[in-house]
Amino acid sequence: MFSWGYFLQQSMNGIILGCIYALLALGMTVVYGILRLINFAHGSLITVGAFFVYFIFFRAGLSLPASVFLVLGFGGLMGLVLDTIAYRKLRGGPEVALLITSLGFYTFVENFMKMVVSPQPYAFKTPPYLSIMYKTQFLTFRSIDVFIIVSSIIIMLIFHLFVKKSKMGIAMRAVAENLEIARLMGIEVNRVISLTFVLGSAIAAFTGFLWGAKYGQISYDMGFLTGVKAFVAVVVGGVGSIPGAMLGGFVLGLAEILSIAFLPTRFAEYRDGIVFAILIVVLLLRPAGIMGVKEEVRV
Amino acid sequence: MKRPELAFVWGGILLFLGVFLASQFLNRYLIHILVLIGIYSIATVSLNLTNGYAGLFSLGHAAFMAIGAYASTLLTFPLPLREAYELPKLPWFLGGPDFVWPFFPALCMGGALASFAALLIGAPVLRLRGHYLSVASLGFVVIVTTLAKTMKGITRGPMGISAIPLYTNIYWTYLWLFITVYVIWRIVHSRFGRAIMALREDETAAQVLGVYPMKYKLFSFVVGAFFAGVAGGLYAHFTKAIRPLEFSFFLTFQIVVMLILGGMGTTAGPIVGVVSLLTLRYALKPLEEHLKIYGMIELIYAVLLIVVMLWKPEGIVGRSPGKKKRPTRVLEGGGSHG
Amino acid sequence: MLKVEGLTVKYGVIPAVVNVSLEVREGQIVTLLGANGAGKTTTLKAVMGVLRPAVGKIFYRGQDITSLSPSLRVRLGIALVPEGRGIFNRLTVEENLLLGAYSRSSREEIVKDLEEIYLLFPRLAERRKQIAGTLSGGEQQMLALGRGLMARPQLMLLDEPSLGLAPLVVRELYTLIEKIRDQGVTILLVEQSALVALGIADYAYVLESGNVKLFGESEVLKSLDEVKRVYLGG
Ligand SMILES: Nc1ncnc2c1ncn2[C@@H]1O[C@H](COP(=O)(O)OP(=O)(O)O)[C@@H](O)[C@H]1O
Ligand SMILES: [Mg+2]
Repeated sequence: MFSWGYFLQQSMNGIILGCIYALLALGMTVVYGILRLINFAHGSLITVGAFFVYFIFFRAGLSLPASVFLVLGFGGLMGLVLDTIAYRKLRGGPEVALLITSLGFYTFVENFMKMVVSPQPYAFKTPPYLSIMYKTQFLTFRSIDVFIIVSSIIIMLIFHLFVKKSKMGIAMRAVAENLEIARLMGIEVNRVISLTFVLGSAIAAFTGFLWGAKYGQISYDMGFLTGVKAFVAVVVGGVGSIPGAMLGGFVLGLAEILSIAFLPTRFAEYRDGIVFAILIVVLLLRPAGIMGVKEEVRV
Repeated sequence: MKRPELAFVWGGILLFLGVFLASQFLNRYLIHILVLIGIYSIATVSLNLTNGYAGLFSLGHAAFMAIGAYASTLLTFPLPLREAYELPKLPWFLGGPDFVWPFFPALCMGGALASFAALLIGAPVLRLRGHYLSVASLGFVVIVTTLAKTMKGITRGPMGISAIPLYTNIYWTYLWLFITVYVIWRIVHSRFGRAIMALREDETAAQVLGVYPMKYKLFSFVVGAFFAGVAGGLYAHFTKAIRPLEFSFFLTFQIVVMLILGGMGTTAGPIVGVVSLLTLRYALKPLEEHLKIYGMIELIYAVLLIVVMLWKPEGIVGRSPGKKKRPTRVLEGGGSHG
Repeated sequence: MLKVEGLTVKYGVIPAVVNVSLEVREGQIVTLLGANGAGKTTTLKAVMGVLRPAVGKIFYRGQDITSLSPSLRVRLGIALVPEGRGIFNRLTVEENLLLGAYSRSSREEIVKDLEEIYLLFPRLAERRKQIAGTLSGGEQQMLALGRGLMARPQLMLLDEPSLGLAPLVVRELYTLIEKIRDQGVTILLVEQSALVALGIADYAYVLESGNVKLFGESEVLKSLDEVKRVYLGG
């Protein structure tokens, strides 16, 4: 039953899902690197971003580039607000307080969306120029697929350069390694942390749009599992490592798609279960993840 | 007998009297709420052992409750209906196809299975630092609900099992609540309890003193899961119908909110949290139904959780930890910079 | 240049430093001595603004800086080279140095200073792209000093720079410290071993369990019996 054409086709689907996980994992890994926080609230940005684009792009009829810029800005703003009103106050306290607050924030957004947009899923119609079909000998794909892959690569590249080369990026890594010493250098730690939330949230909101455009449906609770899976990607790739987060995203996307593609159809329902089974296996065999270094104990 | 034990004896007698009076004089609706309060209290008190005293932040309680609910239901399900519902016959080691378990042992068995699952999941994950347990246990909830949806031969899939015999009443519930509180109180006030709290405060220092983290963490996790399983069993035999969806992350979330609102790491906190939030829920329910804004109660829970974390992280009952070790540092939050 | 008045710093309720007053004059090297746990690091952190004093005031060039954030103090020209060096192990040597100049904005000046630091510490120049965690202890101390200098400080606080270094390296380090002083940087030097520190300092304070026990010109302190017995092993 195995055919290379089918394998290739499914691999591409896996890579596209992997792009989405990888983009989300970027934001989660930098936040985890600095605050040791599994930011459940990250998932809410996916939902919010998707609906934001739905309303300004489909309902209000703004152009696609304008919508993309606005959703990035809107996501960033949400990240800033969340950090300023909630997380900042909790820094320096027990790590678990941050975790609980992020859970609370996620639940808040989800139920808020449920009340505002209704519990029914919305159809997210891809615009015509994003649904042009291309057929080659091995692959069939749509322009949205190209859009996702290209925009993901651009974002990852920019993010990578930012963290590696820019002054803020170096400061960000310094804060992640040792917050106290970073403050001695005159780094305004707060500003750096806010910036990581802004960047991560902006990307997550944009990802919500990609998700909707690709899969055609958005709902008030779409962000939850996707967000948690993105953190699974972080763990699989290696916590605190940016290349690790991207790699983890792709590994997870491919594993999820290929396993349902090649297992008998009745296993399709196990899709979400499979992702977490991978997590547990990775934690067992290689707790530091594929590219991770052993996490230092913070005293 | 030592004084605290004596308090438990008196407390038990008073509780029994209270339950007796309640069952005589309250109407069915109020008793219904009291039973739910009891069941949620069992879940929350047991979560307190793991999340409060041992400082492991598990989000897996819904999964353990699901295991307890399904397992006990399969054991007590009446023979004649088994066939009609296409539920599996019990294998020989569970008593054979013609055997129906009595309620109490069935609950224990449900709890034991939940414990076993906790052992399997905890062994790899608890070795790791940080909040991996949160994600892994949440993943476990997803796995369990996925299995409950897909293993149709055992669970009947998404539509769930109904016509479960109504065995849970206010006496059973409060008997189990009493057992749970007592057992966990005993654990916490033993050498073991001091060890897990030492671990929570400072793992490195505790290790130096010869406390081996793994053993203690795993034990707390497994005991917590047992009572969660029992609570699940009581719940199934009270609502008479269970579906996979009921045991999703939001069940865990509710219990977590109850625990934190009441006060993690305190004896009375979890129960205070349950009573306040369930009272609030039943008070608001007519309003929610009237206004048809579903999700309002969850929204309020979420807001309460955030508010508590920001302004009174020790909860209603908890004492403020005071200004312990931490130096009065120029915290990131305050001041002129930023 | 720096004046600390009646400083008390607490960790929770436990005071680590009680009613400490000291003064550092411009162009001098002043040393703060004391046994382990005496409160030296705590004092420096309070001067830097990482710890907030319970009581007391800190003046820098006559300005009350007690409530300023660390980053503003860095901008005013104070730099702390922390105990145990505080190198960012996962960053490269050059990234560490650039972080020292975080609060400055002129790119050209930073690049110029970077080259100067490399002249001063040739061994860092050879290793500029190397991950700092792989440097030897002596090299890490040089990096920490270099990073401190990159802020172009007027007042440098050095917390036990000689800790864990071989005697020969310590001598090299102290020569450097004098050189830095000669370039016009005022230095507050914290040490446990009074011997070397008193050798280059103009003035000295001795802390004991959070209190200033003794203070005076280094020459005078050196000759005191008490100091000889306890700190100079005489
Ligand atoms: N983070 C901290 N929390 C609580 N106590 C501390 C902390 N840091 C230092 N101390 C205590 O404060 C006192 C002074 O410490 P420190 O300033 O580091 O001394 P020194 O640098 O002279 O060795 C010591 O008793 C030490 O135990
Ligand atoms: Mg010190």
